[in-house]
Amino acid sequence: MGRSTNKDDAQALFQSLRAAYAATPTNLKIIDLYVGFAIFTALIQVAYMAIVGSFPFNSFLSGVLSCVGTAVLAVCLRIQVNKENKEFKDFPPERAFADFVLCNLVLHLVIMNFLG
Amino acid sequence: MAKLAIAIFLAISLVLFSRLSFSRESLTGRRILVLLDDLSIKSSHSIFFNSLRSRGFDLDFKLAEDKSLSLQRYSQYLYDGLVLFSPSVERFGGALDLGAVLDFVDSGHNLIIAADSSASDLIKSVATECGVDFDEDPSAMVIDHNSYAVSETEGDHTLIAADDFIESDAILGKNKIEAPILFEGIGHSLNAGSSLVVKVLSASPSAYSANPSSKLSNPPSLTGPALSLVSVVQARNNARIMISGSLSMFSNRFFRSGVQKAGTSAKYKKSGNEQFVTELSKWVFHERGHLKAVNVRHQKVGETDEPAVYRIKDDLDFSVEIYEWSGKSWEPYVADDVQVQFYMMSPYVLNTLSTDQKGLYHTSFKVPDVYGVFQFKIEYHKLGYTSLSLSKQIPVRPFRHNEYERFITTAFPYYGASFTTMAGFFIFSFIFLYHK
Repeated sequence: MGRSTNKDDAQALFQSLRAAYAATPTNLKIIDLYVGFAIFTALIQVAYMAIVGSFPFNSFLSGVLSCVGTAVLAVCLRIQVNKENKEFKDFPPERAFADFVLCNLVLHLVIMNFLG
Repeated sequence: MAKLAIAIFLAISLVLFSRLSFSRESLTGRRILVLLDDLSIKSSHSIFFNSLRSRGFDLDFKLAEDKSLSLQRYSQYLYDGLVLFSPSVERFGGALDLGAVLDFVDSGHNLIIAADSSASDLIKSVATECGVDFDEDPSAMVIDHNSYAVSETEGDHTLIAADDFIESDAILGKNKIEAPILFEGIGHSLNAGSSLVVKVLSASPSAYSANPSSKLSNPPSLTGPALSLVSVVQARNNARIMISGSLSMFSNRFFRSGVQKAGTSAKYKKSGNEQFVTELSKWVFHERGHLKAVNVRHQKVGETDEPAVYRIKDDLDFSVEIYEWSGKSWEPYVADDVQVQFYMMSPYVLNTLSTDQKGLYHTSFKVPDVYGVFQFKIEYHKLGYTSLSLSKQIPVRPFRHNEYERFITTAFPYYGASFTTMAGFFIFSFIFLYHK
């Protein structure tokens, strides 16, 4: 077989992951970008709270919940819209998107109230 | 017709005449009972009594054993001040006794006690109740071999020249007493348990209290700095008591004689007795050093009426007017050490009040960040002045729910994050639906 070091294995794994990801449909990639943005915003807020302290704790929770909530709802949308998913084969993607919008409305109503 | 005119004229002149007769205002009332051992004291101490009369007091002289003595009748006090110039009385006559004298002081009236080398147990016990302990030895007198008053005869040094005065303009007046005081009598010590008694004239460090005619077998118990010659007490109800160990300090003979302290060369033509006794009696009868505080006011800055409740972190103004009785009228009191506390179990705010020199004292401060029932407290106890103890209660409430700041600056990142997420959701849904 030849000498395969750990570094070569890791690189090969990485390459195959990138190739497989490149094959995903564009709309799923858009959702992934959206989730990444939400998590990134959440991390910024946690870092800010670590520096300044948790004074208006309700505002902190509201901000973090909005980011984590949108991330969760976006992941749910991705699951339901993904064509390779056997469980949701006959599930119309419009229905999934409608659920996503409704849940986001409820989420934003809640965080607006809790923001203070 | 003529008779009517005369009648009207007489009536008018009567009214005018009664207005003209000047009645001197006095805080304490003008009737003073003077108890004497024998009536010759009336003439031997006449300068002192005349000075009291000239200040508007009505003196009533009685023998201490007079059977008709009484301070009260039908629960009304007949006198407003008491002078005990009867050192050797064993028992007061009439309805007077130790308890009656103490009740008299407890009801706010003033007292002057003069003792002597012949002081009886009764007078000594009156003094003990006031916080001053005379020497128990009945034959003891104050002797000072270093500060006696120089006289032609070489005496036993019981006539001493004392000049160790207390530093207080309120008690002894603004003018410094230049000449020493002639004193011949017994000394006392202050009861360590009493915080209200103050030495006005102390003996020099070389003075001691002992029997002048017998040899000392052991060292005297009362000496030097512990020995006081004249003391005053201001009770918590502001009654004032003066206790002197020498009746002859008030006498005409001592008032008029010159004095020279042994060991010094300064000869004074007139002793300081008259000035000392006059100024001290002015203080005892509340002609000096009597304060009143009126018009305690507080309001929010910018408003004029007193609110019923304050809120935490309000700004408020506090003001009070303090006046001092000058003997004839109320003058503004000027001092820079009056303080007000904003007190709830302990003072949260302690401010020195600033004065406008006309008797108005004021300060402003911010209500502390604690809610509860507070008091504005003034506790002013200055040597020689009446104590001021005022308190005014005021509740302080916390913020109402709509009195907090609307947007908290430290929370702006969270506000930003929530709105960014909403905007992100909006943009995402457009892109998701309409991408190619």
